[in-house]
Amino acid sequence: MRNITIIRLKRIFMLIAVLIAMTAASARLRAETGICGGAMVTIPFTDVSSGNIFFCSIAEAFFSGLTNGTSLTSYSPSTDVTREQMAAFITRTMDQSVKRASKRAALNQFWTNQGSSNLALTFVGTGPRLLQSDGEDLWVANDSSNTVSQVHASNGKLVGNWTGATNAFGVLVARGKVFITGRTNPGNLYQIDPTQAAGPVTTVTSSLGAFPLQIAYDGQRIWTANQGPQGSISIVTLNPPDLTVTTVTTGFSSPSGIIYDGTNIWVTDAGDSMLKKLDSTGNIISSVSVGAVPLYPAFDGTNIWVPNHNSNTVSVVRATGGLAGTGLATLSGNGLNGPQQVAFDGERILVTNNDGNSASLWRASDLTPIGNFSTGMESFGAFGACSDGLNFWITLFSTGKLARF
Amino acid sequence: MNSRQPYRHARGCRATVLVSLMVISATVSDRLRADTQTTGTCGGVSVTTPFTDVANTNLFFCSIAAAYFSGLTNGTSATTFSPSQDVPREQMAAFVTRTLDQSLRRGSRRAALRQWWTPTLPPIFSVSGNPQLLEADGQDIWVASEGEDSVARVNASSGLTVQVWTGATNAYGVVVARGKVWVTGVFNPGLLWRLNPRADAPTVPAELEAGDLGGIPQGITFDGSSIWTANLGGSVSVRSSPGSNGALTTTVTNGFVAPLGILFDGSNIWVTDQGDDRLKKLNADASVAVSIPMGSDPGHAVFDGMNIWVPNQFSNSVIVVRAKDSQGNPLASPFVLTTLTGNGLNDPRTAAFDGQRILVTNNSGNSVSLWKATDFTPLGFVQTGANTKPLGACSDGINFFVTCHAGITQRF
Repeated sequence: MRNITIIRLKRIFMLIAVLIAMTAASARLRAETGICGGAMVTIPFTDVSSGNIFFCSIAEAFFSGLTNGTSLTSYSPSTDVTREQMAAFITRTMDQSVKRASKRAALNQFWTNQGSSNLALTFVGTGPRLLQSDGEDLWVANDSSNTVSQVHASNGKLVGNWTGATNAFGVLVARGKVFITGRTNPGNLYQIDPTQAAGPVTTVTSSLGAFPLQIAYDGQRIWTANQGPQGSISIVTLNPPDLTVTTVTTGFSSPSGIIYDGTNIWVTDAGDSMLKKLDSTGNIISSVSVGAVPLYPAFDGTNIWVPNHNSNTVSVVRATGGLAGTGLATLSGNGLNGPQQVAFDGERILVTNNDGNSASLWRASDLTPIGNFSTGMESFGAFGACSDGLNFWITLFSTGKLARF
Repeated sequence: MNSRQPYRHARGCRATVLVSLMVISATVSDRLRADTQTTGTCGGVSVTTPFTDVANTNLFFCSIAAAYFSGLTNGTSATTFSPSQDVPREQMAAFVTRTLDQSLRRGSRRAALRQWWTPTLPPIFSVSGNPQLLEADGQDIWVASEGEDSVARVNASSGLTVQVWTGATNAYGVVVARGKVWVTGVFNPGLLWRLNPRADAPTVPAELEAGDLGGIPQGITFDGSSIWTANLGGSVSVRSSPGSNGALTTTVTNGFVAPLGILFDGSNIWVTDQGDDRLKKLNADASVAVSIPMGSDPGHAVFDGMNIWVPNQFSNSVIVVRAKDSQGNPLASPFVLTTLTGNGLNDPRTAAFDGQRILVTNNSGNSVSLWKATDFTPLGFVQTGANTKPLGACSDGINFFVTCHAGITQRF
């Protein structure tokens, strides 16, 4: 009996020793190693064996920052995912995808310009308003000098100034041409052929509604938002040599901004502070209350961001899907001061502050503020904004400059 | 000058309306907030979601708010998210595909450039001769013109023909690689032309890289070290170390009848063979590893990162073939996922991919057909004009470019 007991005790001691050794080893390693893409890969999760068919997916999710596991050494691979965890997984996935695919990542531009002394400036013309990138060059409408400037984005060089665009205001790049609104009564639509050297613009029509501001395209027709006295929108069907202009006044007070979301045209009406969704004939399908004097909005693929000039807020309205027309949030603070135009670069929303001489930035996916950045001390500084997919570009109204942000 | 600024002095005259509007909206939003909303702090600011079952102390409050704001979820009802419920696999499929689509839509340069439209009247610009295939280098589009024996360099943003390379006999297929532009000449034996994009004269002679390719090369691609051509005469040619002294052409006929199109998927070369109507996956030595039946006369296919889209000229179909596994590794047994028909397909010739969408040219239909690449749903087809006969297609990441009959290129 005693011998047997001793033998049993010895076995137990040996077992304990082995267990202690194993524990020590795993504490030291805290890792699991497997083969992914033909190479050895080590992850810190001791509960994911190298034989797990999801080993390489879990390793990838860890390496790319989509998950840190359920503890330093565990991933809990068989635990069910709750909807709240799912929300974290998919938002991290989208943010990472957009961040990595951005040209800014490839060009090592992870910074946000801090303040006006860091802006690259190009003189364009007197009173620059709205602007648009064609992917390579910027096209800037200069209201007071009646010109349109073409600026090369990568070096900021002024390529040329087109002349004769009386009260140039809104810019559209579409159909291989550049279209400009002339803020006159009746309104003008000008056209530039970018294959030609700078010269006089061509007048497409002089029968838009009174004082057209922003301009949009739906793939077929050009739309303008006309401030009025009698506010309206104009729809231009261009099928050269044929041209028709339809101007709709019903339901509009003083339209300012107009954008296309891939399905519908949306108009901001500064007269009644509404965002209006239109059908293909220009009739109003629905209206959403936004802040006071909404100006030039942007679409981010899901939502429309509306700068409310007189309430110093930005309204975020769902444009697509089951919640279309729902106000998601009214953003305030973050330096908003006379917000004028919104631009989207794929990740970030930029809003120009006409009274604040600054730009306010948000992350588009979660509506959190990135900060407010000065564009210089000139009064009524920042007016229009656009992105070329790499940088934001801002017109500085009172100094006649284009700033690369 | 101030009086010319719209809305700078709009405040006074609209103040009354404004105040009453603000009062109304404040009342409405207060009522909503009291009953049906949760307010927490994310990124240092106050954030409100409509979900009453997600407390602002929930560890995932900000993630749930972000998923709601960016359209990845609308919750389980107007006021609930059901945060503790498990995610069944069917919900998981919805979550991940929405995430993929949203990431691509937002990440596309078209988003930054406010180009949410699909043009129904695409702009056209002229190149000389009879343009065949084309390729983007990120800034310019290189268009091969068979009739003119030339290659045009067209600036993508303006549509202006910047330069022309001449003497490229029977120029047909284009690939941009190794700092040069490489063009097939459809001749027997086949020709490989080399263009130096650093040349700055308005007209530049093309240089002959090789005159010993297999007969009638149309499709051309690059695998990181060698140029590959699909030769309609019945072979595949591999030009190793092109442009260097050690350049060497190897032509393989075994296993091929009449190859037309060729592409590289990051791991393997794939060839569409019009002789036996098959899509062939090749080994590194150009032997055929896998051969998959296609429709009648498969044309110039495109790879989307996971699948290969093959337009079938006489079947009026596009066949989508799974090429990679979920990790992005080559699939041992690639297989047909689906056969797409309708959506305007009429004599389809070339497929192109822009990151989100697939475009296919319809040569007899005088149109292009578009699909959403992630779920194969049709986005419709767009007429290119009578007798335009669209053939080649490429994307520069913003627009599609399509070659048409009689020296016309269109930008979508």
